[in-house]
Amino acid sequence: MALLLRGLRLAVLVAFAIFFVAPMVWLVLAPTKSDRDLVSRGPFTFGSFHNVALAWQHLNAFSDHIFLTWIGNSLVYAVSATAIVLVTAIPAGYALALGSFPGRRLVLTTTLVVMIMPAAALVLPIFLELNALHLIGSVFSVILPFSFFPFGVNLAYIYYSTAIPRELLDAARVDGCGEWATFWHIALPLAKPVVALVLFFSFVSDWNNFFLPYTVLGDSKQYPIQVGLSTLLSSTPAFNPATGGGGQQVGIFRPELAIATLLAVVPVAIVFMLSQRALVRGLVGGGVKE
Amino acid sequence: MKQRRLWSAAVVVMALALVGACGGSGGGSSDKADVTVWVDAARLPVAKAYQKEHPDVKMDIVTFDGDGNGATTLQTKIQLWNRSGKGWPDVIFSEQVNDPIWMARKPFEFAAPLEDLIPEEVRSQWPETSTAQCTVDGKQYCVQDNLAQVVLWVNQKKMDEFGYTVPTTWQDWAALGEKVATEHPGYIVGNIGDSFSHWIYLWGNQCPLQQLDGEDLKIDAADEHCTRTASLLDPLIENGTLPPLSVFTPDFAQQYGGDDDKVLLMPGPSWYAQAVFDDALHVPAGEMTAAAPLQWEDEPVVTGQVGGGPWIISRHAKDSKAAADFVIWATTEFNPTGEGEDARPGYPAYAPLATKWLEALSANAYFASDPAPALQAGADEVWDGWSLVTYPDQPVWSDTVVTKLVAGDSLSSLLQPFGDALTDAAEAAGYAVVDN
Amino acid sequence: MPSSTTDPGNSSPVRATRSRGLHGWRGFAFVVPYLALLILFGILPVLYALKLAFTKESGAWAGLQNFTHTATDYRFKPALVHVLLYTSVWLTLLILFVVTLALLLHGRASRASSTFRFLYYLPGALAGAASVLVWLFMLDPSVSPGSFLVHHVLRADLFVESIAPGKLPFIFAMIAFWTGAGGWVVVMYGALNTIPQELDDAARIDGAGPLTLALRVKLPLIRKWVAYMTILSFATGTQLFVEPQLVNQASLGMVPDTWSSNQLGYQLAFRYADFNSAAAISVDLLAIGLLGAVVIITRTGLFKADD
Repeated sequence: MALLLRGLRLAVLVAFAIFFVAPMVWLVLAPTKSDRDLVSRGPFTFGSFHNVALAWQHLNAFSDHIFLTWIGNSLVYAVSATAIVLVTAIPAGYALALGSFPGRRLVLTTTLVVMIMPAAALVLPIFLELNALHLIGSVFSVILPFSFFPFGVNLAYIYYSTAIPRELLDAARVDGCGEWATFWHIALPLAKPVVALVLFFSFVSDWNNFFLPYTVLGDSKQYPIQVGLSTLLSSTPAFNPATGGGGQQVGIFRPELAIATLLAVVPVAIVFMLSQRALVRGLVGGGVKE
Repeated sequence: MKQRRLWSAAVVVMALALVGACGGSGGGSSDKADVTVWVDAARLPVAKAYQKEHPDVKMDIVTFDGDGNGATTLQTKIQLWNRSGKGWPDVIFSEQVNDPIWMARKPFEFAAPLEDLIPEEVRSQWPETSTAQCTVDGKQYCVQDNLAQVVLWVNQKKMDEFGYTVPTTWQDWAALGEKVATEHPGYIVGNIGDSFSHWIYLWGNQCPLQQLDGEDLKIDAADEHCTRTASLLDPLIENGTLPPLSVFTPDFAQQYGGDDDKVLLMPGPSWYAQAVFDDALHVPAGEMTAAAPLQWEDEPVVTGQVGGGPWIISRHAKDSKAAADFVIWATTEFNPTGEGEDARPGYPAYAPLATKWLEALSANAYFASDPAPALQAGADEVWDGWSLVTYPDQPVWSDTVVTKLVAGDSLSSLLQPFGDALTDAAEAAGYAVVDN
Repeated sequence: MPSSTTDPGNSSPVRATRSRGLHGWRGFAFVVPYLALLILFGILPVLYALKLAFTKESGAWAGLQNFTHTATDYRFKPALVHVLLYTSVWLTLLILFVVTLALLLHGRASRASSTFRFLYYLPGALAGAASVLVWLFMLDPSVSPGSFLVHHVLRADLFVESIAPGKLPFIFAMIAFWTGAGGWVVVMYGALNTIPQELDDAARIDGAGPLTLALRVKLPLIRKWVAYMTILSFATGTQLFVEPQLVNQASLGMVPDTWSSNQLGYQLAFRYADFNSAAAISVDLLAIGLLGAVVIITRTGLFKADD
């Protein structure tokens, strides 16, 4: 009986693993095949590196090398916004957890409530706000909204209120450290796990965000890669034929879409891999057994 | 340890950011460009050709979805630009022939009247019907790139092989479809799954689903013209000779195209020519040609229209003259004589250019016989009872009808829901709908 | 010397002894930059949305007019039904399988277990447009590695059949599950790790088999995290935009560009230039998100142990 259960358990785990991983394996192999190969040959067959080079050439040639611009934009937005998030959220979480000042509860509750609200429902008012501030058209129309990350504050708050021994901080104060020095030299280094976590979540969330940039950006050269992918999709004859004929000159077919998707994922996959341990360990605060 | 890894990751990421930001487009920002054009994929060659021939003009060419298949891309984009007060391109090419209608009106007010930008002697060379489609409240707001009259595309080789004669009426065409289903199963006489198929079959048969009468819009799906067409088409949809598939999907090309193509007949617009049969379906040379549009027995010949490709110049253009110059060149001069992908895909709306294009078409070795006469004949026969409105009707057709046809419903049963859905869309856009 | 007992005059709670240094403006200073962002992009937009929803374009008071106007729009109800159906399917998949997978993995912690976890959250790197693009290929029977499943489970021989209207909420739920589940499995696994070993041992000594252990001991203890996951997922679920938007493009309009409520709001704002109606929809979505959160919080006592 126990063996049966064990077998069942393994079967379920493996089935899900296949479900999660198979599409990604397909994605990695797709650019090695030509558009015809994708249909005629098996989904997990390897084509050739030559096809990959061709697919990249077509992709890069699209609209004057705009693909690289899109990747660059995503990086600029995600990195800048995450930097601002770290600078604002970590100290805020620290003070909310360990300080006492009027309005502390209010800020905490508001943060929680806003976190639960569907962010996309706020994009339209944010657009109007940004417009009133004449920020539409500048990169800040994307970076500033991205910099608001209540989830990061929440994480920092939970971490600081459960994992940092106050005696350590008081010891620093007794030694003569001011509040900022206490934070900088004691509290912050101790918070490496949560800094890693906030960095990770903020970066990934910014990288994958579609609706806000889609709404506020009018110039396709400023698009982040997610919105760029949708433009690419709309230029793929298979998915959006040009009424009036033609469209093949643009040269974006399914292998090109596949390689575009793959490349769009690489930076965040890198951050993923490198943050893995921090995620598992630091996520639930405090000591976690492996 | 872990922190060091993350720091190195951060460094890598920032380095990539710098590379990406610098390695991006070197073509200059839109502020410096003299002319910013938005084109779809099929019009990219003309924009590039213009840039090549006029190296002194700085152009910013942006490829977008062309507002095709009834998208609302341009509406949302123009709103965004209007709200923020900047960002408008100077020239837009649209695949939606009705786009200039709403572009000229509030709240968009994007299109510039062309009376001052394009000389009268040039504009007069467009057919009247074409100019009429660009005219809103008495002013002309666009010039059309091509005429897109629906004709009957014929696979002459296969028709001769099977011993069939080319039908001239819808009834004969339907009868042939029934014959084909039994004698040569797998072959088709048309398709009805495109986002614009209703323009071919319903517009071309005078079904009043979009008829402006002053300020009122008539949408009558129960009209006899609609119901009789649906009854004619239903058996064909059912027996597989009129599949509810889009001619552009890879599935279609695989099933009906290629060396062993199964396309016997296909009612379709003039621009199907080489763009669809050669480039999309890979039908071998020496098979296809065009015949006159089908007529309903004993009734005058009318046909539908799929596209037209309006070029619109922006009211906010910094250099309207440069923008107009590009549009004029694109519509009156651009006519590469190369074959296949390099040829101009559409039947030019500008008459002198049309003559040249038709000559090249007649000489094109791809076709089994000269398709030009059929195309020319059809040019004047577009039914004028289908008006251009401010809302896109293509998605309504795709969503209400095509999805259900795929599921197996009959077109007759879907006419009323289609009419109702069109009424909803029209009323949401502010029209007063009249049923009868 | 930090105070550890209740001082009648002191308003600080007993449990957390606050460091004396971060009082008053010194503490406040740490929060100020974040506060600016909170106001600008958290509070103001909500207030602005409320204002727009209850006023006309001219600024005059409109009462509930915008709400009735949008609710009677022919696209409103279908969009809402789509979104609610999608959200309930997704949440069901999420709760059911994330908890199951986390429990299965935790039962026998090993290197294999961490490999599985890694594989499960790999797709999380592809949220948004990228995951939709991948699934456009997965749903196309002619190229998909799962074409057998597409043919027999989805009963689709062609791509257009895969995205038939009735199937869409399930398809979108599956895509969302594919990208999001892995991350939550990691969270649940971590939460399970906080269960003291003693509890585990005590239950085993009492004769509890692995199944009982999982369902009776572990599951109740991670209830808080399941509730947390449900609240956040409910909020993100109702605001669905990118998946139907991309499928709208890829399907040549067969999937309408107002399939979800958020899409409808976007169209109202930018196509019809009616930001007031769009705000009404935003407020509807906000209300639903809050309502869901309140319901879940009260039913599970999520914040009882918290501050």
